Amino acid sequence: MGDIVVRLSNQLAELDRLAEEVESFGERNAFPRKVIYQVRLVLDELLTNVISYGFSDGKEHEIEIRMRLEDSRLHLCIEDDAAAFDPLQAEEPDLRSPAEDRAIGGLGIHLVRKLMDSVRYERRDGKNRLFLEKNIS
Amino acid sequence: MELVEKTTGDVVVLVLNGRLDSNTSKILEDKVMEILGQGHKKLLMDFQDVDYINSTGLRVLLLALQQLKKNQGKLVLCSIKDYMKEVFEISGYTEIFPIFASQDEAIKGFA
Repeated sequence: MGDIVVRLSNQLAELDRLAEEVESFGERNAFPRKVIYQVRLVLDELLTNVISYGFSDGKEHEIEIRMRLEDSRLHLCIEDDAAAFDPLQAEEPDLRSPAEDRAIGGLGIHLVRKLMDSVRYERRDGKNRLFLEKNIS
Repeated sequence: MELVEKTTGDVVVLVLNGRLDSNTSKILEDKVMEILGQGHKKLLMDFQDVDYINSTGLRVLLLALQQLKKNQGKLVLCSIKDYMKEVFEISGYTEIFPIFASQDEAIKGFA
C-alpha cells in the first residue's frame, strides 16, 4: 500500500498511465484531492521534460518512478538515463512583471519546487536521480 | 478538452471541459485566436469542469491574456476548482487574472 514502482518508456503517451497510477496510489492512501493533483502535476512536469528533451538517440529508454509513503511523508524518486539535467539549476521564472511583459515559460520547474517540500538531484553511474518529498496532511 | 462557446451581451464565454495539458492546450489556443480574430475583446473562461491543468495549459492562459491586452481587451477566469487554486497562486496568476467564484459574478465583473 505504501510503496509502488512504475516503469515507463520514453513516450509522452506513457504519462497517462503514470497519472492513473498516481490517482490510485493517492486514493488507496486517502490523500486529499489537492495532494493527488499536485503530485500528478509535479511528475507530469518533470517527465514531460525528460521525455521531450532528455534523449537524442531515437532509442527506447526506461524511466523508473518510485513512490513510497512513510509516516505521512511521500517520497518520490525518478531515475532515468537521459542527458544530465539538474532541474534545480533552472532559472526562476518571471512572476512579478505586469502581464503584458511577463515571459512565457519556466513555470513547470517552479511549480515542482513550490509544491514539494524537498527536491534533491544526483547524477550517478550515468543516471539522473531526482528525490522529492512532500508532507501529506 | 471540450469547449462550449456562448455569448452573453458582448462577453464571449468559453466553458472548458476536461484536462488542460500538453495534449489539449493547442485546442484552447486556436479557439482563443479565432475569437480574437472575430474582434471580440471580452473573454470569460469558465473552469467549472476542468479537472487538471499543467504548465502548458497555464502558458496558454498567459498568451491569451497578453493577446487580449494588446487589443485593449480583457480576460477573466471563473469557477476554478478549490484543489487547483494553489497552483494559480504559485504561478503568480492571481495577481494578473481577475478570478471569480461563479460565471454570474464574472460577467458582472466586466461591467
